[in-house]
Amino acid sequence: MRYVHLYFTCIKRSMISRLEYKKDTIIALFSFFFSNLCSLAAIFFILQAIPTLAGYTLPEVGFFYGFSMLPIALDHLFSDELWLVAYRRVKDGDMDMHFLRPVPVLFQVFAETFQPEGFGELILGVALITVCAMNLTVKVTLGAIAVLLVGAAFGAVIITSLKVAIAALAFIFKRSGPLLQIIYNFSAYAKYPLAIYPGFIRVLLIFVLPFGLFISLPVDTLLYGTNNPWLLSLAIMGAAAVFFSTSVWIWTLCERRYESTGS
Amino acid sequence: MLKKYKPFLRAGAIDTMAYRFNILMWAGITVCEVACMIFLWLAVYRSSTGGMDAEIHGFTFREMIAYVVLTTVFGFVTFNNDTLWNINTDIKKGTVGNYLIKPISYRGKFAATSLGNLLTMTLMFGVPMYTAALVTLGCMGFLPGLTFPAFFAHLGLFLIAGLCASLLNDTIAYIFGVLCFYTSAGWGLNSLKTTIISFLSGTLLPLAFFPAGLREIVKWMPFAGMSQNPVLILMMKYDLAESLRCIALSATWIVVLELFAKILFSHAVRKVTVHGG
Repeated sequence: MRYVHLYFTCIKRSMISRLEYKKDTIIALFSFFFSNLCSLAAIFFILQAIPTLAGYTLPEVGFFYGFSMLPIALDHLFSDELWLVAYRRVKDGDMDMHFLRPVPVLFQVFAETFQPEGFGELILGVALITVCAMNLTVKVTLGAIAVLLVGAAFGAVIITSLKVAIAALAFIFKRSGPLLQIIYNFSAYAKYPLAIYPGFIRVLLIFVLPFGLFISLPVDTLLYGTNNPWLLSLAIMGAAAVFFSTSVWIWTLCERRYESTGS
Repeated sequence: MLKKYKPFLRAGAIDTMAYRFNILMWAGITVCEVACMIFLWLAVYRSSTGGMDAEIHGFTFREMIAYVVLTTVFGFVTFNNDTLWNINTDIKKGTVGNYLIKPISYRGKFAATSLGNLLTMTLMFGVPMYTAALVTLGCMGFLPGLTFPAFFAHLGLFLIAGLCASLLNDTIAYIFGVLCFYTSAGWGLNSLKTTIISFLSGTLLPLAFFPAGLREIVKWMPFAGMSQNPVLILMMKYDLAESLRCIALSATWIVVLELFAKILFSHAVRKVTVHGG
């Protein structure tokens, strides 16, 4: 309970400091929408030139794109501070203050930033899914809806866990931002159906960096019923549990190795 | 007259060398992205009515891959530019005041620095990367339009077009940087700038894919000269006349944008708040 209260107090403060640059925040939100719009337009223009993409129609590809935004948006809302830890904060010696406070460092990192831009992503993703779903002719089952919800929510947990684990490496190497960027960018692969990739990339996207497990497979399940939705949900939750506990373990391990860089 | 900017040119060149490691990491990130694009295009051409041999909007599959690789290398070498962030830092730290009282132009300083960056990037990474890309793509038959000795004329024009692209990029970054005077922060402006450039310059996908009306408008904007046109000149998809027309358009835009930047700056400088310094 104390932590819930503490979290909201910290987030309130972060929002106030963010609003110091009102104009920039508005421009950032706008440019964020615009950038997603451009990517979508690009896919739309490409699909105008061909009948289907590896058998997937325009609304289906749009659905993939929209759905891929949900777990990414949820992660974006809560864990944006990890980017700063990986890129700058350890290197600049800014982490010292967190180690002096009687609250777990990882909690403080999460309480440092709440990123409202994530809402933009969430709204855009849901809007896109809705528009595309209206143009689809699939029989929606309870299981398919369940697996999509599980994919979005637990997918976010998996993304956040990956970020925690790699950001933690900054405690040892001082800077792990570029590595985080490389891993995170693999989420772009999940914006398209797995069918367009060669076998080894599919395996990578399901078992190693499981963006495909919680984005592509659930959407495929909805569209074509390729997997048993309940088993897939279980698999996603299981993966999320493994990723989450491993990343917390890595964080704790790396945290002990922290040496201040001075400031 | 230009002599006083020489230290900035030098500093820009040396600065880029100091961050070799960052550049290598950046290359790692790029390889993953390019791979994703290649898989996507592979699926696109496989799914097209003409199959793998189809020509979509004037590009065969091989040309498209060459285009993706070359625009990536081009962006990497040409757009290594921190103008916007440096202006933003100058505003935040108040160091902008120091420059305003010195007898050099604030604009000139950035132009010289980014030319220095371009010089180092071109010599250190551009030459080996373009050579490797062109030889590999050429040997694999991905550059069917290339003929010798006409290629050397195109190479010369490409270098001029690349210089224009770098100047355009720096001018636009400077304009967005000056806009930071009004917002006191650069994050939003920077992402807006990046998005506009990557979409309208043909980096995201060739402008030939745009619907006709939009394509006609974009053709006359400065952005195509920042990525698509130089690369198509190098690939010899444009003939000499078309190449020269593209370069002339870019040069005109540089002048227009510089003038605009000058007017904007003289207005913005009245808005600047110097925090300490």
